[in-house]
Amino acid sequence: MEFQAIHDRLKSIEAPGLMGFDLPRPADKETKDKGRSGNPYVEVDPQQLVHFLGACKADPELHFEMLVDITASDPSADGDDLWVLTEIISVKHKHRLSIKSILPKAAASMPSTVPAHRASQWHERECSEMYGITFEGHPDPRHILLPDDWEGFPMRKDYVFPTEYHGISCE
Amino acid sequence: MTDTQPTHKPTIQKSDEARTLPSGEKEFFFDVSTSDLEVNMGPQHPATHGVMRILLRTDGELVTGAQPHLGYLHRCAEKIGENVEWLQYLPYTDRYDYLSAMNNNLGYSLAVEALMPELEVPRRGTLIRTICAELNRIASALIAYGTYGLDLGAFTPFMYAFREREWIQALFEKICGARLTYSFIRIGGVFNDAPPGWLKEVEAFCDVFEQKWREYYDLLVENHIFVMRTANVGVITEAQAYDFGLTGPMLRGSGVPFDLRKDMPYMDYGEIWDAGCYEIPVGRGEKGTLGDSWDRFYVRVQEMMESIKIVRYCLGVIEDGPVLGDVPKVLKVPPGEAYVGIENPRGELGHYVHSDGGKVAVRCRVRGPSFTNLSIVEDIMPGTLLADAVAIIGSTDIVIGETDR
Repeated sequence: MEFQAIHDRLKSIEAPGLMGFDLPRPADKETKDKGRSGNPYVEVDPQQLVHFLGACKADPELHFEMLVDITASDPSADGDDLWVLTEIISVKHKHRLSIKSILPKAAASMPSTVPAHRASQWHERECSEMYGITFEGHPDPRHILLPDDWEGFPMRKDYVFPTEYHGISCE
Repeated sequence: MTDTQPTHKPTIQKSDEARTLPSGEKEFFFDVSTSDLEVNMGPQHPATHGVMRILLRTDGELVTGAQPHLGYLHRCAEKIGENVEWLQYLPYTDRYDYLSAMNNNLGYSLAVEALMPELEVPRRGTLIRTICAELNRIASALIAYGTYGLDLGAFTPFMYAFREREWIQALFEKICGARLTYSFIRIGGVFNDAPPGWLKEVEAFCDVFEQKWREYYDLLVENHIFVMRTANVGVITEAQAYDFGLTGPMLRGSGVPFDLRKDMPYMDYGEIWDAGCYEIPVGRGEKGTLGDSWDRFYVRVQEMMESIKIVRYCLGVIEDGPVLGDVPKVLKVPPGEAYVGIENPRGELGHYVHSDGGKVAVRCRVRGPSFTNLSIVEDIMPGTLLADAVAIIGSTDIVIGETDR
């Protein structure tokens, strides 16, 4: 299925948390719009993401049985938002969907998506240590790539690099 | 380790209770004080293929829990991606899955090209890309083949595998000067054209490899001891594979004929599939249960021959022409976001790139297949025998550079 058909289907089954979509568009010199290239994606409310993924998996026409990736992004140091980016795929129907959920930095907390796909368990652990997002109800919320006692969230744009770690100078 | 002192003197007395081992044998309990023993497998263990630690909880010979501890090789690849220019990041992509650096270069280049709709990759560039990616897939599968035998105590196949891998590396050395970290596939095409006679030599390699492949197959795949060690071990069902997001040979080993080259074609793979010159090998549970370690291994070995067919197709249609599109020295990528997944030898290698129109990426995410494929170990390990732990970890074919990035 093409993106537009997937979006229409999501609308017709009233997928929980669906907020809108964004398509790539060419640059427009008159309105000084720089345009956007790349993939289309749908926007989903982060608090509803786990239910959204469950609905996508259960619907026979969409049949998104596999979660490929969950990651986050901090688009700007001054901004107030964090993005949670999810990529799902349907092996049966051979189509994929990119999902963006926008979380405020001040309250970076959302329900874990592990009930829908166990694949997200390690990806969420990585997001959580790198961006400081809390996934409520995660079965194993430990650090995964960083040491257990690491402080701060290294992938945030305003992260200040430490000058020493356990007596080892990093300057 | 939390070993408690025995409260009574151990007496060796067989009890009536028995438990059934995975092999179907019965094991009787003896009246001695026992407790779970925690064993650290790694970080320096030859069978973990790098620096990774797996904390195994064992009850006698049975594994009751397994917990991988990653991060020993974490090199902040994604953070570096936000701090260097688009073209400068390319050498870093070589270093996450260092056994298939060509495919990593390709994944990153395709992701950036997805943000640049006006950039056109010349036909000859695309075909050289495909040839290199497929040769690299064979080289990577040869390592998987050799080291899996090594893990299970078969030393000879490893030597055979490295003989042909050496030839592939020599071919790569001729085309780009490097043997492991190539940085050859660039944004917009490939770095330079193939030297004179290179394509002929690739053809000669294909001819020889087709014969040698039969040797590999007889030497290890059908070897009775090897089959006994891997069949019915570490079974992953189709539903489990979907749930854990497994891709590549791990998914195909469970009987799902899903390959991004065929099902979501990128570059010229759609055309090659339509020409009908290659197939997607899947596990069929020939030696044991569908989705066991042998099936996964079988898929990897079969894929080498399919790659040879793809290389032969490309050699047949390649023509002279430019190999690199029009890319400026300092690249400014138009604003946008793209996720592009390609079929790496280990599964789906995804790159999410986000540009704001500048010289540096806002976000450069790498979704490594090894990372996701390893996560199933926690689930399939409990209930197996300790001796099978190595067979299961080996069958996931992970590269630690990629799990940790």
